[in-house]
Amino acid sequence: MSLKSTYKPSPGALAPLPLGWTEHRAPTGHTYYYNAETKESTYKRPVATSMGPVGPSMSFLQHQSVPAVNLSDPAAANAFMAQYTQPQHQSGHRGGFGGRGGFQPRPRPQPVDKPRSKVAIPGQEGWFLVYTKYGRRFAFNAAKNASYWRIPEKLKPGILELDQARIRQKAGIDPTPEKDTTVEPKKETESSAVDQKREEGEEEEGAHDYDSSEYEEVEVTDSEGEPDEDGNPTKRQRTEDPNDQQNDGPVEFTEEDIAAQLAAMGADYDEVEYNMSEEHEEPVLSDEDARELFKDLLNDYNINPYSPWEKLIEEGRIFDDPRYTVLNTMRSRKEVWEEWSRQKIQELKERRAKEEKKDPRIPYLAFLQEKATPKLYWPEFKRKYKKEDPMKDTKLLDKDREKMYREHINRIKLPQATLKADLKKLLESVPLGLLNNQTMVDHLPPQVLSDLRYISLDRKIRDPFIEGYIQGLPPPPEDGEQQEIDEATQKARDDRRKREKAMQDRERAVAEEKRRQEKKLQFERARLRDEERELERAMQVGKRGLQSQLVKEKGS
Amino acid sequence: MPAIRAASKRKPPPEGFSDIEEDLLIFSNKMKDAQNTPTDNIPKHQAQWPIFQISHQRSRYIYELYYEKEAISKQLYEWLLKNGYADALLIAKWKKQGYEKLCCLRCVQTKETNFNSTCVCRVPKAQLKENQDIQCVSCGCRGCASSD
Repeated sequence: MSLKSTYKPSPGALAPLPLGWTEHRAPTGHTYYYNAETKESTYKRPVATSMGPVGPSMSFLQHQSVPAVNLSDPAAANAFMAQYTQPQHQSGHRGGFGGRGGFQPRPRPQPVDKPRSKVAIPGQEGWFLVYTKYGRRFAFNAAKNASYWRIPEKLKPGILELDQARIRQKAGIDPTPEKDTTVEPKKETESSAVDQKREEGEEEEGAHDYDSSEYEEVEVTDSEGEPDEDGNPTKRQRTEDPNDQQNDGPVEFTEEDIAAQLAAMGADYDEVEYNMSEEHEEPVLSDEDARELFKDLLNDYNINPYSPWEKLIEEGRIFDDPRYTVLNTMRSRKEVWEEWSRQKIQELKERRAKEEKKDPRIPYLAFLQEKATPKLYWPEFKRKYKKEDPMKDTKLLDKDREKMYREHINRIKLPQATLKADLKKLLESVPLGLLNNQTMVDHLPPQVLSDLRYISLDRKIRDPFIEGYIQGLPPPPEDGEQQEIDEATQKARDDRRKREKAMQDRERAVAEEKRRQEKKLQFERARLRDEERELERAMQVGKRGLQSQLVKEKGS
Repeated sequence: MPAIRAASKRKPPPEGFSDIEEDLLIFSNKMKDAQNTPTDNIPKHQAQWPIFQISHQRSRYIYELYYEKEAISKQLYEWLLKNGYADALLIAKWKKQGYEKLCCLRCVQTKETNFNSTCVCRVPKAQLKENQDIQCVSCGCRGCASSD
């Protein structure tokens, strides 16, 4: 896994070096320049016009030419400070650095850096990762009491793990509860609470300067820091503030020393520094996370989802954000941006669909009430306020605007009593469901707000008037809204009932008809039977013939 | 482009125009700037490149809003075409296979060219010589083959 840096240390790296100068890199990661002929070295990039150390005016120009250097960024500030503090130390004669002492008058490494926090490296007993004030870091072995700028190979997995945790935390994916950071560093004196320290370290993590030398194996054998601890006077000539003495760059730190310094630093620990963005991203994030991070970035910067991609790039606002680098190709960024904007536009659409339609007349009328005077004719008024939003709104036609303006001006001239009466009439016309004693004066129904009669009365008179009117109203009908909604269903139900009734009627009629027919049938049958019986009787003629008939008649 | 009527008699643009109004304004400002920059020191054939490029960008912007992001309505899209915010003929080409990235219509015009063929920017990068840097004469395109 490669850990590369996006940090460009030397701002003036554009100009070519003059003859005799060579570029080198100090173990601290800063580049410096050495002239073999004059035996001079400097952190400031020499310019062809002036050989050797550059005058103050020149250095000013140099700084002018690099306006983009952000001094709030510790790493940049360090490099920047180094640019003009270094030439003062050039007279200092010091021995070389171990085997690499080819260049005799070496510039001192960063003088103002000091350890700020340390983190126990997980899985490695006795090893700590120490962060310095300016965001550099080194490994520290408590057992051997030795520090390494270059992080030993065996510690790398642990450190990567730490970094991952930190990045995740930064991105807000894995938020651990905030702690009071001004107190935390003091606790670090307790060497037993290793776990706690690790947590702190993750939180305290400030900006990082991933110099290429970060993982370089250079034991901190530098003798610079030691004399202070031993109390020996330094041989070096010192031109700087004596306070800085014990803060010399890479030092072999004892545990107590670090703790003391951290405690001292705890007081002036500023949050700004650890809110700073990281200057690097390692490819340790999952693809999904990276995409989400980039989308968060777009959300946070209030990017307009309708805007073209070129605009986003031209503006360049998002370049400074560390989340910009989580995706490492422009193509993938554009892809994510496309996806994001599509989603965002859909969301916007849905939200707008949910929102109720706003009458464009309402803001315009409110504006009229504010600005319209009988002193201005419409063309004058229009010209005067043509930049105002309600005057530019395309949903309202200019013709309507003019009409409303004229009407409004005419109404202003009417007597107060008429206006009040008109307003009362308007309020009365609103159904009780919309306007009742629960209505707030500043949440009147749009029906009222979009009416000219509402604005023609002065606000100071109108508002108390409306309030009074509202208080006099009955409470909202219990199921007023319900009724309205139900009206349609009620109607449907009625229709249905009617239909059913009609059907029943018809059924009844049919049944009656049937019954009647049956009755008729039975009646007919009965008559038939009678007739048959009579006929039968008539057929039964006895021997006596007519006599028997007569006898029967006599008998009855 | 239809005649521009007085603001009082103009119909309002369709719904959703206010969302993209600002970006369209930026494009039109860019276009104005490009039109007004003096072309004294530039080779004659290059004078119109920025104009072509901006009009391409703007057409592309509207094309993507309508066809890819589905951010604008059909009415608005048609209104934009009618009012000259995008080049309908160019967009018609983008819908065809092989022309998805076409830079301008002149680059697919084979008539009245030296070899009766399309522009060099239509040649895929793979078929060009190694590291051959091209910029076409008509619009300054550096390559608009679909396979690039």
